[in-house]
Amino acid sequence: MMRRPRSSTTCSLLAGAVGLLVAMLALSPVAAQSTGEKFARLPIRSDGPKSLDPAKGSTSYDNQVVCQIYETLLQYKYLVRPDSVTSYEDVSEPLLLAEMPKVSDEADGKQVWKFKLRDDVFFHDDACFPGGKGRKLATDDVFYSWKRLADPKYEYENYWLLQDTILGLDEFKEKFATRQPSKSEPNPPPPPPFDYAAPVEGFRKLSDTEFEVILKKSVVRFGWVISMFQTSIVAREAVEKYGDTLGKHPVGTGPFILKNESDWKPGQNMILHRNPNYRTELYPSEATPKEKEQGLLASAGQKLPLLDRIELTFYTPDPVMWQDFQDRKIALVQVPAEYFEKAFVKRTKRLTKEYSDNGIQAEAVPLLDFIFRGFNMEDPILGGYDEKRTKIRQAISLAVDLDEHNDTFYNGINVVYDGPIPPPLDGFPKNGKAPNSFRGPNLRKARELLAEAGYPEGRGLPEIEYYTSKGSNQAEQTQAEIRQLARIGIRLNPKMVDFSELIEAINQKKAQMFGFAWGSDYPDPENNLALFYSRNKAPGANHYNYDRPEFDKLYEQIIVMKPGPERTSIIEQMRDMVIADVPFVGSMARTRFYLAHPFLKNFKPSEDFYNWFKYLDVDASAPR
Amino acid sequence: MIAAFKRLKASRGVGKFCRNRLAVAALGIIVLYALVGGWVALGDLLPGRAGITYAQVEQPVWPTPINGFGIPATNERRVEAARIITREVKRAVNNGEGFTDIRYGLLHILPGTADSDSELDRLSTLIEESEDLYDQLSEFDDLNSPEPPTLDDGAPDPDSIDVPSTIARLEGAVRQMFAPLSGWQSLKQSLLHSLGTDRQGRSNFLRVIFSIKVALQVGIVVAIISVLVGTFLGAAAAYFGGWVDHAVVWLYSTLSSMPELILLAVLVYAFSGSVFDKVSNPWLALVPVYAAMCMEFWIGPCRVIRGETLKLKELEYVQAATAIGFGRFYILLKHVIPNTVHLMFINFSLLFIAAIKFEVVLSFLGLGVKVGPSWGRMIQESTQEVINGIFWQIGAATVFMFVLVLAFNIVSDALQDAFDPKHVG
Amino acid sequence: MWSYVARRLLYSIPVYLGIILIMMGALRLRDPVSAYLGKNATAETALLKKASMGLDRPFLPIGIEDPAEPFGIEPIVEVGRVGFYPPLRTQYVEFLWRILRFDFGTAERPYRSWQFESDNVGAKLADAVWPTLKITIPALVLTATIAILVGLLSAAYRGSVLDKTLMVLVVLGMSISVVVFIVLGQVFGSSWLNGKLGFELFASNGYEPGIQNWVKYCALPVIIGVVVGMGYDARFYRAVMVEETSRDYITTAVAKGAPRHKIIFVHMLKNAMIPVITRIMITIPFLITGSIVMEYQFRIPGMGKLLIDAIVNKDFPIIQTFTAVLAGLFILTNILTDVLYALVDPRVRLA
Repeated sequence: MMRRPRSSTTCSLLAGAVGLLVAMLALSPVAAQSTGEKFARLPIRSDGPKSLDPAKGSTSYDNQVVCQIYETLLQYKYLVRPDSVTSYEDVSEPLLLAEMPKVSDEADGKQVWKFKLRDDVFFHDDACFPGGKGRKLATDDVFYSWKRLADPKYEYENYWLLQDTILGLDEFKEKFATRQPSKSEPNPPPPPPFDYAAPVEGFRKLSDTEFEVILKKSVVRFGWVISMFQTSIVAREAVEKYGDTLGKHPVGTGPFILKNESDWKPGQNMILHRNPNYRTELYPSEATPKEKEQGLLASAGQKLPLLDRIELTFYTPDPVMWQDFQDRKIALVQVPAEYFEKAFVKRTKRLTKEYSDNGIQAEAVPLLDFIFRGFNMEDPILGGYDEKRTKIRQAISLAVDLDEHNDTFYNGINVVYDGPIPPPLDGFPKNGKAPNSFRGPNLRKARELLAEAGYPEGRGLPEIEYYTSKGSNQAEQTQAEIRQLARIGIRLNPKMVDFSELIEAINQKKAQMFGFAWGSDYPDPENNLALFYSRNKAPGANHYNYDRPEFDKLYEQIIVMKPGPERTSIIEQMRDMVIADVPFVGSMARTRFYLAHPFLKNFKPSEDFYNWFKYLDVDASAPR
Repeated sequence: MIAAFKRLKASRGVGKFCRNRLAVAALGIIVLYALVGGWVALGDLLPGRAGITYAQVEQPVWPTPINGFGIPATNERRVEAARIITREVKRAVNNGEGFTDIRYGLLHILPGTADSDSELDRLSTLIEESEDLYDQLSEFDDLNSPEPPTLDDGAPDPDSIDVPSTIARLEGAVRQMFAPLSGWQSLKQSLLHSLGTDRQGRSNFLRVIFSIKVALQVGIVVAIISVLVGTFLGAAAAYFGGWVDHAVVWLYSTLSSMPELILLAVLVYAFSGSVFDKVSNPWLALVPVYAAMCMEFWIGPCRVIRGETLKLKELEYVQAATAIGFGRFYILLKHVIPNTVHLMFINFSLLFIAAIKFEVVLSFLGLGVKVGPSWGRMIQESTQEVINGIFWQIGAATVFMFVLVLAFNIVSDALQDAFDPKHVG
Repeated sequence: MWSYVARRLLYSIPVYLGIILIMMGALRLRDPVSAYLGKNATAETALLKKASMGLDRPFLPIGIEDPAEPFGIEPIVEVGRVGFYPPLRTQYVEFLWRILRFDFGTAERPYRSWQFESDNVGAKLADAVWPTLKITIPALVLTATIAILVGLLSAAYRGSVLDKTLMVLVVLGMSISVVVFIVLGQVFGSSWLNGKLGFELFASNGYEPGIQNWVKYCALPVIIGVVVGMGYDARFYRAVMVEETSRDYITTAVAKGAPRHKIIFVHMLKNAMIPVITRIMITIPFLITGSIVMEYQFRIPGMGKLLIDAIVNKDFPIIQTFTAVLAGLFILTNILTDVLYALVDPRVRLA
């Protein structure tokens, strides 16, 4: 099925062309590939990363590559993934650490995290080290890497991860920050040059492998942050040697290395080789019964990474990626929406007979997604917390039919739910339906609310400026929304703009209503609820400019609260508060379907973390 | 100006044009398009009474994509359509919403049913029946190539249902939810379905017809503005000379030295989000596109007319008018520009084609028409369909556009032959 | 002649300044910084980015007394005292100064690619030229050859069935949008054809360097380019040739009994060469821009794709530099064409 039989009616002209092509292919280096090394080509569905410097990265595309080369203190477990998540301890395991951190609460509210690094971690061999030999990882590297996030040179791109967390770090950052001119100080003195040697109170070095980090308070997020790729550990020597070009010349501790700069052709592909000096890190040997049955323990106890070489191919057009999977050029693939019905029966979400007979493996990966249509709560017509404006928003919410979107544009594989918290996190309502739901469609109720707000049948309500980014099927989705809202008499003026212009409009609070999505940075509902925290207003992640003191108070509570039933109930309270105020119409979480050829082993994709390429293996004997 | 037209009408060129039978036929096609476009445009003026409105075009005529020319749908698609309709009707029954919102083309649930208990009961029975049949079908993994379920020993299950008849019963139940169509109505309905639908179930036929208006609008507005601006600037530049000439030549040299798509893209970027970017208003929706195209298109006529005026300026009658002491503007408007009318016509026709074709490219790149049908958007939206072998939408848009552009190409050739035979290119 | 060239060059200066001004000005009507803010951005990050992109500085060297004007933000870069900007540090003048020095590969942030940080704009453009040329040059050569041939044949057999058939085909080709050719070309020329052949003759899109991959990735765009571009050229050449056929020397040659093919291919072609060369010359700058639609849709990493990506991502340095280089090239080719024209055709004098 995958390879179509060659047509027998090839005419002589074509035969000539074939001969020419074969001769050309023989010359090409691609054809020579039988060195016995284990190799897989894996797709990345984007232009790829912009920079390989963890301090500059922010998108999942950066993450996908950076985490193959750099490592964090903790990582997510590959196997035995929990059904529901309450704490970082449920999903994390040590990566650069010898053991899980020991956390102790101090009497004054501070919290001390005690870390012990592994003793056998070395940086990649690189010219930046004396003799070109990778140096051993030490405590100072951790402190150095985290201080970088506070360096204005990196524009505080990722400082939010550590903000208001580590004792003395905020003060450290302020010391070197450019002060804005103000009335009282029109010409503030320039800041001193950034000094990595300056002390931070919360960083306490005990030895080269042991250290303590003192938090201002018990920040729950910190447990998640130390497995996020932006906090990866970098080598000071490399930063100093490569400066601005570190983004093209990564030196980490991870399982794969970028041998030459030319191995990365931006927008096309990147070849990563096994790190020959990688420490002894073994494939996990624990699995759930289901995973065992899937054969995911076949490599248990083997040394990672299992592949000698991986080639990451960047695909922006889906058709090429799909075709390459059919041709077995890539080992796995995300199923693009428009191809879904080629591999699956839409009704049953099962592989078609053709695919399952060929041994294709399929995995559904639920994403931590929050797709919504937001409102600017500071807008004079739609924003605000009074009854009238709230009712308009509720009416809009009740008129939008997300089931139709799911059916028409996503093959019905998404989860439609209430509130901002996707499954399987705490605060996801049972069956996706919250008690005070305003999810549509319920046109009768929508019309009633609109009339109560003083706009019966939408009469008198001005047109709503609705911003969405263009691209793939956004225009079609927008047309569907216009039609849905027209049913209750609300008119939208859609503004289809590039994603950058969408952000611009939101940041400048110009967009009355906007289509947007949020992928959780880490699986804690706090990350999604932060979208409604008033201190994160535009240009921060609170695109709605939602501002409710009672919400803020609760949010500040859950930041420092131990996971447990009490925290969950506060989270639910916050969720219901947001649902009632309707700062957004929502929500939807995507499910991504992955396919893999039978020759790919240990296939268990995830989009919560990306460093699972090191667990992948190929069956060299299987036909390729 | 009127005198100029009269002179033009009497000229030899018109006679020559009229003798070109192909060109006259092409002109007829253009008139036909113009009539259809004009009728569609009536929808904006007299919504509900005449023409086609944007809202009508957007209404789905079926819940799932269907094929054109009555080619039957696959079993999976048929079952899906039944499921979605059942879901919609059930929701309306449960919410007590009334059924005015459930409408697929001319298919609709009888008005007044919402109030009548017996009707509601009837619908509820049908919903139950439909759901039951759907559940029965769920034992099949793939209805397009159904394999009867087997017993433990591998023999086919004798109790298994028959797929084709079950689907037919399911569709029958769903069909009964709607009011029956009269002969005339079902003809109209099949017209709506004739070219298939896109994946939102919107009628390709309606969309492609509506797009005629959009294309004519873009073509006419852009061509008229460009020709008028170009003619005036070109004639003025040549006639007055001096700094006017320098300024005009500088302007068009500058604009034409930039690759046109970059200029257009940047202009669209600069215009988007401005007060003119009002997609929902049929008259303002295309202003960024007009502006960007006119900025580029006036250059062609300007060059030609400038060259022609340089010649005209030296002719005796213009010299004479100057000697008599007529004002220079008067001469320009009365004696120079009217003598370039034939060039204006040729340029209009060329720019009209260019504008229509450019709209398609711009829309395709996401820079032109953004929401609502246009041939460019239809082609753009169909790129995801063609990989699955669905050609209805792109086919319809291409054919309708092809005929119009072809007709215009023929007419502008004939115009050129008739009025400007020495012109090359 | 040299004085003519000098005069033309001198006259081109305001045109060139205008091009740069319009392009940079139009881009700066909107604020691009948002495009470069991450998910959890702060106002502080936005300001730092604006400064590092050089957008906090005034655009034009006018009104330098109030530097906060063009974008309504406070200057962050400390230059002596607040409120003073040396004209050379304004965005427009500084960029012109860079063009003058051919400095497109600078290490300063405002002139590096914004999207792919630490990428040198000059090098990026240079990398993109080759894939574009691999499509435009074959397309140009093929289009010109076929179009001249069609034009010649049509003109030589004017009014015949051959002429009519060729012209009808040409008009048909012109009446279908290029995007339809692309979409259908990808489906039939690639997926469908490959299915029939059993191997991948043409890729539906993508690109790999190396001449051995040319057929796979570049042939299809070239074919489409030829089909789309041929119509206009063929009609033009036909008109030129028709004009030639009415000239005296042809009548003489016919009267002297020269063979018909000789008249067509030797006499007519030779004498019609001037407009042909001019037309080809004019298209030379466009060899480098490439076809934006084609590269965009076939995902060929050439100049057109680079440019449209830069526009989408608001990567100003690339758009500006691209325009600057291309406009310069365009102006120079125009002058060169006129000069060549005069050299070849004694009837034209340079005034």
